[in-house]
Amino acid sequence: MKDTVRKRILIIEDDAHIAEGLRLNLSLKGHDALIALDGPSGLREWKEWRPDLIVLDIMLPGIDGLSILRNIRLEDERLPILILSAKSEPEYRVKGLAYGVDDYLSKPFNLDEFLLRVERLLTRAAWGGEGDPSRGSLSTVGPAYTFGGNVIDFEKFTARCRMGEVSLTEQEIRLLKLFILNRGKLLSRRELLEIGWGYTGDTPSRTVDNFIVRFRKYFEDDPHQPRFFRSVRSVGYVFDHKD
Amino acid sequence: MNRFKWFYHPVFIFVFSIVALAASLALYIYWYIEVSAGLKAVIEKYNLDPSQFLEVQTWVVILVLSILVAIILAGVFLIFIYNQKTWQLYRMQRNFINSFTHELKTPVTSLKLYLETFAKHELPREDRLKYVGFMIHDVERLLDNINRILELARIESGSYRREFVETDLVSAVRQFCRRNADLFRNAEIRIHDPDGKSLRGSVIPLLLDMFLMNILTNAVKYNKSDAPAVDIRFAARGKELQLRFEDNGIGIEKSEIRNIFKKFYQVGSTDDMTAKGSGLGLYMAQQIAKIHRGKLAAESRGTGKGSVFTLTLPLLGQEDKPDEGTGGQRGQA
Repeated sequence: MKDTVRKRILIIEDDAHIAEGLRLNLSLKGHDALIALDGPSGLREWKEWRPDLIVLDIMLPGIDGLSILRNIRLEDERLPILILSAKSEPEYRVKGLAYGVDDYLSKPFNLDEFLLRVERLLTRAAWGGEGDPSRGSLSTVGPAYTFGGNVIDFEKFTARCRMGEVSLTEQEIRLLKLFILNRGKLLSRRELLEIGWGYTGDTPSRTVDNFIVRFRKYFEDDPHQPRFFRSVRSVGYVFDHKD
Repeated sequence: MNRFKWFYHPVFIFVFSIVALAASLALYIYWYIEVSAGLKAVIEKYNLDPSQFLEVQTWVVILVLSILVAIILAGVFLIFIYNQKTWQLYRMQRNFINSFTHELKTPVTSLKLYLETFAKHELPREDRLKYVGFMIHDVERLLDNINRILELARIESGSYRREFVETDLVSAVRQFCRRNADLFRNAEIRIHDPDGKSLRGSVIPLLLDMFLMNILTNAVKYNKSDAPAVDIRFAARGKELQLRFEDNGIGIEKSEIRNIFKKFYQVGSTDDMTAKGSGLGLYMAQQIAKIHRGKLAAESRGTGKGSVFTLTLPLLGQEDKPDEGTGGQRGQA
């Protein structure tokens, strides 16, 4: 078998037995596998350990799998992610695929099928990954985004806006991408925190509001009468613009 | 979620029926007045005897019509309420099925995974034993889930009613904790003895165990503290006996306390996948309390501040109990 290249695979799964079984089989295949038993630690391991593939459960304590997926996709479009979930209904598959999952297997699954799908995903990732290995492309958003009179440059981390040229922090970029990908859709404070920051629900949602204040200052003609970043009372925010 | 088009929506149908009913009442009255005015004109024109035609007073007609309309309105309202209740129950049951299939699928997935692994690889004996241990545990999880459903059916059918036994509750709780020590090994369960007294109540041992299992598992499962702990306190109040289970878990939001005892109810929602469990545990606990002619109440100072469950049972008597120390049984697990 072509198991020569050791790959790192992160297993985010809250059932210890299943996680251990997956780890066992993946390491028998010659890979390095690491287990994260809840959402927040899964996100942490993704950032620190930089795996080549993630096996993700949907029902997870802390942050659910779909939020993790969206969080990762804001930064990395290429990392192969396979969802392994007891939820087999089409609505969940569609949701997962819409958020950018590469493959979806429902539990209980066939071991060989799982292993073959994992190999396939790893092989495919190896073909296209030469350009920039750690950061994926921004295919869904593009390198730059224009709305109103503002231009955001996602590669240089800058924006041209009514305040002239401003530089943006990594967190601001993430949040802007999240808004742009969900243009016209209401994002609750909780969603913004979970997907944008990877926080669990206990974080004070003032954090989100502070970022919105900053965005309005950058991009709105009149920050007190926002056109792009509108708030929906006691729920969250909607980003939208004409054209 | 099953979305109907807006004109199928029960609230719309309800409002529409009321508007239609009110309109028809207004029209009945209007037409009645019109017709009787016309009739009056005819009577006057031809000089007929009015008593022959206008015996019934206008207000009587209006009153009768209004009463009929009110009855119809009440009927519509009742149907609307029932419809809402049915929908709520349907949604809850769907939630239950969703999360319960999850509870069933997880151990099955694990079992299948290990069996397929064994079929594929020759593992060292040590590893094999470890994984067989996992599998046994999974089978037990499956059995537990199945039993819970069967027990629920039994509790609801009321076939437990003739198995009451007079027991000392303090030692019953203590024995339960000892028997299941391995289940709660990550948590500290402190039983506060009421000065060595025994508190006697009439209980069904099997149901008491089920009750304790539900309450204590919840206390440990919904607990993010580094050292999960449950304090069990006993108190005799007049003819009542109270068992307080105080934990340091995630607590319950004020708005949820009303709901947690409902059948199939789960804190969180299945849409964002924050709901866990079957939504049956506390419902069963409350049913068990009812079978024992007792009450189960919950209180919490809010999220993150722990919760307290209080079981109130009729007290049969209390007495000093010198032999408490020797009465303990060894754990079987």
